Amino acid sequence: MIRFENVGMRYGPGPEILRDATFVLEPGSFSFLTGPSGAGKTTLLKLLYLAEPPSRGLVTLFGRDLATSRRSEFPAIRRRIGVVFQDFRLLEHLSAFDNVALPLRIAGRKPDDYTADVEELLAWVGLGDRMQARPATLSGGEQQRVAIARAVVARPDLLIADEPTGNVDPDMGQRLIRLFGELNRLGTTVLIATHDRGLLERTKAREMRLVDGRLVELRKARL
Amino acid sequence: MSGRQQGRILPRDTGAAPLDVVIGVMAFLAALALGASLIADRAAETWRAGLSGRLTVQILPVAEGNVDAAFATETQAALSVLRSTPGIAYATPISQAEAQKLVEPWLGAGALVADLPLPRLIDATIEPGSPIDVPKLSQRLKQAAPDSLLDDHSHWIARLKSLAEVVILSAYAILALIAIATAAAVTFATRAGLEAHHDIVELLHQMGARSGFVARAFEWHYLISALAAATVGAGLAAILFVMAGGLEMAGVEAVPFLPPLSLRFDELAWLLAVPAVSASIAWATARLSILAALRRIY
Repeated sequence: MIRFENVGMRYGPGPEILRDATFVLEPGSFSFLTGPSGAGKTTLLKLLYLAEPPSRGLVTLFGRDLATSRRSEFPAIRRRIGVVFQDFRLLEHLSAFDNVALPLRIAGRKPDDYTADVEELLAWVGLGDRMQARPATLSGGEQQRVAIARAVVARPDLLIADEPTGNVDPDMGQRLIRLFGELNRLGTTVLIATHDRGLLERTKAREMRLVDGRLVELRKARL
Repeated sequence: MSGRQQGRILPRDTGAAPLDVVIGVMAFLAALALGASLIADRAAETWRAGLSGRLTVQILPVAEGNVDAAFATETQAALSVLRSTPGIAYATPISQAEAQKLVEPWLGAGALVADLPLPRLIDATIEPGSPIDVPKLSQRLKQAAPDSLLDDHSHWIARLKSLAEVVILSAYAILALIAIATAAAVTFATRAGLEAHHDIVELLHQMGARSGFVARAFEWHYLISALAAATVGAGLAAILFVMAGGLEMAGVEAVPFLPPLSLRFDELAWLLAVPAVSASIAWATARLSILAALRRIY
């Protein structure tokens, strides 16, 4: 279970970007995070994927209170989280295949063991013939799909995606959401930050909205 | 697709080219120092074995009377003493012409040398493993030939030996300094590399990589480039030593009285240690400095 209790975040002496955020992500749930630009979506996601510690409040990930967790436990927690960054963050010198395989290498798996999985996943996101291409030679949409494949390849317990369909056409957007849904059915908790109203309308998932650093629950999951 | 090649986690061009140059130069100097120590070691051995197996008896020219007649009788007397001494394999007088040749490097050839009152020399070889009582032999020679002087070269050997030992110790000190400088250069470069690849390191970290994983990505990078650079440096030094050997074979003597400046093939093999040690230093230093830096950052 993932729980935020009265979490606040400010950078240095600046204004508080996130205020009293309180919510729970149940295991296996699928949620959207919406809100205007600058509302604090990316900051909230950063706290979730342990890029930053909160200024105040309590963050519990997979039942662990982060404030009392040892630093040496963080890598193991991070491996249970897949992240699709808004700016993709692909390694430019690695092929699409090697970028996607990276989380598996970090987990200590050998190429013989993961090659088939990575190839299958790349084929699924429509990049079966671009596996050896470097990110610089891929279009924005293709890079985004590589980033998504990398985030889901290790079957994380929590998937966090920041605007994952921003650069792809509606058809591919649908396909990617189906991929997230597939992963969700296998037990992964999914949280997607998006501006894409169309994406929201097509699913019945829960929607949390951030306005001026405050979190509002707009819609419960409809089953 | 088994046995697939994994892409390197760090890009190949990590701005480490200047480091490669430093490591190459260091390896070149290290190979020269190592070669010098090997040559000095061989020379010290040669001096111990070669010179100490021999004795030289000088018959000094008499101050008055018939010089040549005195030379002849005293040389004969000294020879018979030597030949009757157990442990002396053989003793043979050195001719005037040969003696002049010996002083030629210092005094030059010609009339001046021919007129010099050179002592008569007797070269004696000791049977290997036979201890000779030098003071006693010297005394017996003095009785038979009053103008004789026995030289067992121990004075020279001791000095050459200590010279060789100084050369060897200096070479080791230089090797140690080079190792320290290499480690310092690698530390500097890995810190810069960590800085340059901050985004990659952060991403790996974000994906749950432990410091050891990140350090491995870096240490392999530095291990391989140091191995390549040091092989080039040590290779150049090896070529120099082989060329020195070629010159000597062609009859060019580098420095008279000093041992040849070339290495034998078995000694050249020692130069292989230079890239191996350089790469190990680069590997260990990169690992330690990366782990230390990551501890500070994360």
